Amino acid sequence: MSQVLDIFRFRRKNTPLHALDPRAKFVILVALSATSLALNDVLSLVVLLLFEAFLLKLGRSLREWLQSLKGLSMLLVMIFTLNYLTLPSHRLFTSTTMTLRFLCLTTAFSIFFLTTTADELAAALELSGIPREYSIMFTMSLRFVPSLARDLQTISDALKCRGLELERGGLKERIRNYTYLLVPLIIYELRRSLMVAEALESRGFGAVKKVQPYIELKLKKRDYIVVTASCVLIMVLAWTLVSGAYSGFVRWQQGLFAGL
Amino acid sequence: MEAIRVENVYFAYDSQPVLKGVSLLLRTGEVLALMGENGAGKTTLVKHFTGLLKPQRGRVLVFGVDTREASVAQLARRVGLVFQNPDHQLFAESVEEEILFTLRNMGYPLDRAREISERVLKAFDLKRYRDKSPYNLSVGERKRLALAAVLCYEPDVLVLDEPTAGQDYYNKSKISRLILSLKRRGKGVVLVTHDVEFAIQVADRVALMASGTIIREGPAWEVLTDSEALKSARLLMPQIPAAASELMGKGIKFQKTPLLPGSLYAEVLMLLNHCGGER
Amino acid sequence: MAVIELSDVYFRYQGSDEYALRGVTLSADRGEFIVLVGPSGCGKSTLLRVLNGLIPHFYEGEFRGEARVAGLDVKRTPTHILARHVGMVFQDPENQLFLSSVEREIAFGLENMGLPRSEIKRRVEEALRLFGLEGLRDKAPYELSGGQQQKVAIASVMVLEPEVLAMDEPTANLDPLSALEILSLVRRLVDERKVVAIVVEHRMELALKFATRLIAMDRGEIMVDDEPHAAVDKVLGLVGVPPVVLAHELLKKRGLVQGYPPLTPEDLSKEVVEVIRRWRR
Repeated sequence: MSQVLDIFRFRRKNTPLHALDPRAKFVILVALSATSLALNDVLSLVVLLLFEAFLLKLGRSLREWLQSLKGLSMLLVMIFTLNYLTLPSHRLFTSTTMTLRFLCLTTAFSIFFLTTTADELAAALELSGIPREYSIMFTMSLRFVPSLARDLQTISDALKCRGLELERGGLKERIRNYTYLLVPLIIYELRRSLMVAEALESRGFGAVKKVQPYIELKLKKRDYIVVTASCVLIMVLAWTLVSGAYSGFVRWQQGLFAGL
Repeated sequence: MEAIRVENVYFAYDSQPVLKGVSLLLRTGEVLALMGENGAGKTTLVKHFTGLLKPQRGRVLVFGVDTREASVAQLARRVGLVFQNPDHQLFAESVEEEILFTLRNMGYPLDRAREISERVLKAFDLKRYRDKSPYNLSVGERKRLALAAVLCYEPDVLVLDEPTAGQDYYNKSKISRLILSLKRRGKGVVLVTHDVEFAIQVADRVALMASGTIIREGPAWEVLTDSEALKSARLLMPQIPAAASELMGKGIKFQKTPLLPGSLYAEVLMLLNHCGGER
Repeated sequence: MAVIELSDVYFRYQGSDEYALRGVTLSADRGEFIVLVGPSGCGKSTLLRVLNGLIPHFYEGEFRGEARVAGLDVKRTPTHILARHVGMVFQDPENQLFLSSVEREIAFGLENMGLPRSEIKRRVEEALRLFGLEGLRDKAPYELSGGQQQKVAIASVMVLEPEVLAMDEPTANLDPLSALEILSLVRRLVDERKVVAIVVEHRMELALKFATRLIAMDRGEIMVDDEPHAAVDKVLGLVGVPPVVLAHELLKKRGLVQGYPPLTPEDLSKEVVEVIRRWRR
């Protein structure tokens, strides 16, 4: 389970992707997400996924992503099955599209978070004018995601050691067993947030409204190139979608899949 | 009797090796202290004892059963594991329910479970809190409850992860007494700790871990007086053996190297009697 | 006036019937290293939190008496002002290191104070150097050992140049060697920067040799307040004592030694050598 959260955990590496300004990466994220949501067919989404894989390779994070796909696989299977069982027509085509779209979206976010530190994110948010309280809230949530994952693991370990078979039993039993995890987890994290709040107060948080952030973010030439390229991509995308050519492309694929 | 046998176990988290060829043997009726700095692999190792983790190479046998062939719940029947933070281990709505929770999971029928929980609540001085929510207790009481919730089904082996962290000397003595009573009843006890003063009070054997391997293992009195090994494991020598070592450096000879204040006192008296005899 | 002046302080947490602090009077000044002990629930953590105003501002309740830190009235001064004078270090490094690099963590408090970037940079570089953290500047907290994490926590508060360093069981999760390093670092800060350190610590066997003063509390009151050698056997009944002190007490009961107990194995061995020498005469 904690493997899923792993795709969003930053790994320190020396790559062109890591070196980009977080704001440029954010633009990439927006572009990729918009594309994932706008595209409506299997082939284009596959191309998008391959492009994202290329970006991951650029960020030397392909291995981490592939590893955590294992954890995601259950979710993907679920999305595929649910769609397949509930759609009236074009079932194979649409289920595959939905699954690919989900994968593309998750991967887009993963590209961002694997190559951006929470600090850079905070600095980017603050420089964009967001008040310090909110940007801190956001980055702290990110910073504590691995801690939360670890706590969840420990609690589920403790539960198993008390004789509860978490992996066995029918669906209803399993759901009930998993609820035993919730109370200790919530209380533990509430206690933790109290301690964090104490520590924040003790470090003078809130003393001054507008602060000068320590991390200086300077947009370089490569950042501008990336941002421009992303905007161009979005424009091309928009144009393709608006023109009739796209819907024709989609229909052709639906026909292909119907034949399978 | 052989309780836990660890045979050349290798384990890695996310391709980061944590255990690199660890072998260990625990018998019932024995107290083993597993010591070393945080990150040496102690907690990872003990998680193998209930099958929470399975070795990637090598194997772990719990009372002859290979951990890869049993579920955690099954192994937990013989090996009780108490984690360091009680707040990770409290699942019920009341103190009494917490004890019953374990017993029911372990297969005890309700009336037998109630009998046992009465006894356990009394033994751990938790009877007056029986209807209280576990989270309304103080930290010390929650620790007691977490321990009671595992000891209630009397596993043959008890594993305690840092039982003395944040405790004063008095509470440490209480924990020592509990462990010694478990030993007398023939249970095996594994203590994951870096509290050398505590280890020297209760442990029969000590295994020092550093960087994923056991660098030294043997009787407690031997390992806890080996200053080189202790340093490699980021530990300090307990105070009394350290004082004894200074005294031996000054030419003083002991019958047996004292490990505890009482034995140092006894040794000094013996030395004085010798001197008295010479006068 | 001393840096810390508490006079007859009473505090009761909101919703609680019991007083957590009862008539606490304490005066402490620069250059002191106070070790604070007591059974759980005795009020030591509460006392610490009065120093930087977490009590009564973050934790509301009934507060009586006078409390002044660096001349400021705790009751009337918000925590973010007191934070400039009192550096608070907590037990769990995970919950007090918020950011993803050591460098940024140390800068955090200075950012909060609204200092200009150039000043922040200067102080961060100095702190990295003084605390030997230069090689770790880009590391994230989870990449550090427990001892390193606590060092970063200390550096992050010391960079604000407080007069008081208040620590709540800072070595609880550390191995003995790392605990010793941290305690020795605190002693250095007390000697060189003339802060007053007040440290809640259970491991007296490690901490007492660095302390200039031992204070023990029980049920909200200060029971013992003296120089460590003099104070330590008075805490026997409250929390117990380190093994060397117990050994001394046994010898004392036999009339073989007198006076204050040793605090280290070396001092105990010297005492025993004396005993044997005297006997031989």
